[in-house]
Formats: sequence, C-alpha cells, structure tokens
Amino acid sequence: MLAALRSRVISGSLFPPCPLHRPWRQLGFLLRPASTSSSSANGKLGILDLEEVEKVLSDVKADDVRVIPVRNQCDWTDYMVIATGRSNWHVRNIAQALIHKVKQKQKGAERMLLPSVEGHGGGKWIVIDSGTVIVHALDEKARAYYNLESLWTTEISPKGPSQDLEKAIVKTRRRNNSKKPMKSVH
Amino acid sequence: MDKPLSFCSGRAWSWTSNSSGSLWRFGLGTPLQCRPGWREQQQRTFIQMRTNLKVVDNSGAKWVMCVQALKGRRGVRLGDTIIASIKEAQPRGKVKKGEVVYGVVVHAAMHRGCCDGSEIKFDDNAVVLVNKQGEPIGTRVFGPVSHELRKKKHVKILTLAEHIA
Repeated sequence: MLAALRSRVISGSLFPPCPLHRPWRQLGFLLRPASTSSSSANGKLGILDLEEVEKVLSDVKADDVRVIPVRNQCDWTDYMVIATGRSNWHVRNIAQALIHKVKQKQKGAERMLLPSVEGHGGGKWIVIDSGTVIVHALDEKARAYYNLESLWTTEISPKGPSQDLEKAIVKTRRRNNSKKPMKSVH
Repeated sequence: MDKPLSFCSGRAWSWTSNSSGSLWRFGLGTPLQCRPGWREQQQRTFIQMRTNLKVVDNSGAKWVMCVQALKGRRGVRLGDTIIASIKEAQPRGKVKKGEVVYGVVVHAAMHRGCCDGSEIKFDDNAVVLVNKQGEPIGTRVFGPVSHELRKKKHVKILTLAEHIA
C-alpha cells in the first residue's frame, strides 16, 4: 500500500489523492512493480537503495547488519535490513542518518518525500519504511527478544499455536490414579 | 438503486483462516442495497468502551476489554489504538489479568475503506498488545492482518505477522 511515504507538501494537503502518487498506483494494491521502475527513473523520490542503506549503516557503525530479501515471502516489501545499535541514542542516530541521506538525495526538489519513521520516541526499535526497503534499527536486547531473522529466514508462514494443536489432537491413554482397575470397553 | 456498475471497484474475494474466520473485501462504491444480504446482517459498529477483543499475539493475554478509545468520539476502527484491561490471560505469559495495556486493533467487524476503494471487514474483533511507545509486547502475531496498518505506522506489527491480507 502506498502510504508508506509521507510527502511534505508546501500547500499542506497530505493525503490522497495526490497526483504525485497516482502513476504508482496503477496496479491497485501492489505498488512494488510500478515503484521500482519509477524510482530508478528519477532519483527525486525518497526511496533508499540497498547499497546506499548499507553505506550509511557502515558509516554510522551499526553492528551486525543483515539484509534479508523477502520478495518471495511477502508482497509489500522487497528487502528487510536489520541493524543493531549499542544504545538508545545510537539507534536514534542510525534513523537520523538515514533520513539525512534521503534529504541529501532530494536537495533542490520542491516536494520532499521522506520515508516514515516509527518508534522514534522510545529508542528501542525504530523502523524506517521506504517502500521497497524497510530498515529496522534495534538494540541488542530487543533484537534477541523479537528475533526477526528467524521469523523471516525460515520459510513461509511460521506457525505459532499449531504446536499445541498437534499435541491436543493426539490421543493419549488415561492415567489411572485410582486403586480400581480400568474398565475395558467391550 | 441504479448505480452504474463501472462505479463499483468490483473486487470481492474471501479468505478463510483457521483462527479468525473469514474476511471480506468489497468495492466501496457498492451502495448499501447492492451488497448481498444487507437486510439480514447486523449493522457492525465501532470498537468502544466495554468491547471485548481477542488477543492475537503471544504476549499471554487472551481477551481484553476496551476501556478507552484513544481517537474518535464514536469509537475506533481497524488500525487505531485503544487502552484495554486484560480480562483473561494465560498463566505463564508476559502480562497478567487485570493489567491495563495499550492495544492496536488488527481485526474489526466494522468495514473500513481502503485508499484504493475497496473495503475490508473481519468476522471478529482482535487486538495486538503494545506498550506506550508503540512497541509490541509479544513477539509473534497470529492470523491475518490488514494492509492498512502500514499507513497507520504499525509496520512493527506487520513484520511480526504471519499473514498479511
């Protein structure tokens, strides 16, 4: 869905139907095929490329950067980048560095399209959503807690409660704790 | 009512899941009388105070009751945040019964319009528990979640979800 990108328009009207967004939406829900072609066409859009993201993350000295291509698994994004920060401030710094890079790319355009940032208040997990590339900046505890790599690198849908369901359906013999012998069913 | 058919976006399909039931997408342009069964079905409305919602993440709670709708005078819809009190919880979970937590609505029985004209509605009301900064308390989200969460800046819940509809 399109509105991962926030457009800062001078006249002030934020949300649809902005004519800037129309050409991307020709395919209905899946904006991905249209947007990758248009982002390579004009560099004015606020979509980060994978190499730029990696460069920025190495400049900021983020630890343990992992890129996971999720194109086959989910249809709303192509790449997930996970990076660790050493402290809350470092995590926020990673987010600011990425936004700064996007602003630099778009210098001189009259309309800036910035990727949306979530979680900036509490600095534990910040998500930068720029369409095809989603960058997660976590700190080490959050990374171990949420364990995003195991979610996206194991195949299609990781099943949660089905473990208990399998155990529930298996027929087990009743334990006989009383002194009388069990009556057999005949 | 004769609305021209080209006005409706005309896309309707259903998806059934084991946990929640089915969800339906209809063209927003279809007026009320064109939707099949509009006379017999209940009029679904907002999620407001005293609404019971299911919890679809692994934070340990099972049912919560909405205590406050954070935005909206009449109530919240899909993608909004509520304050809720936990009514039933699993014994060894991260949260306990009686705690007051924030939650993001991921299933809503009331239809919500998407920006491309279609609507989405679920069979039940469900929520994902979140802390005050917006970070999910659980680590996985079960069942389908809707695309609209991306616009509402809940990408974290989308990354933890197993199926996106």
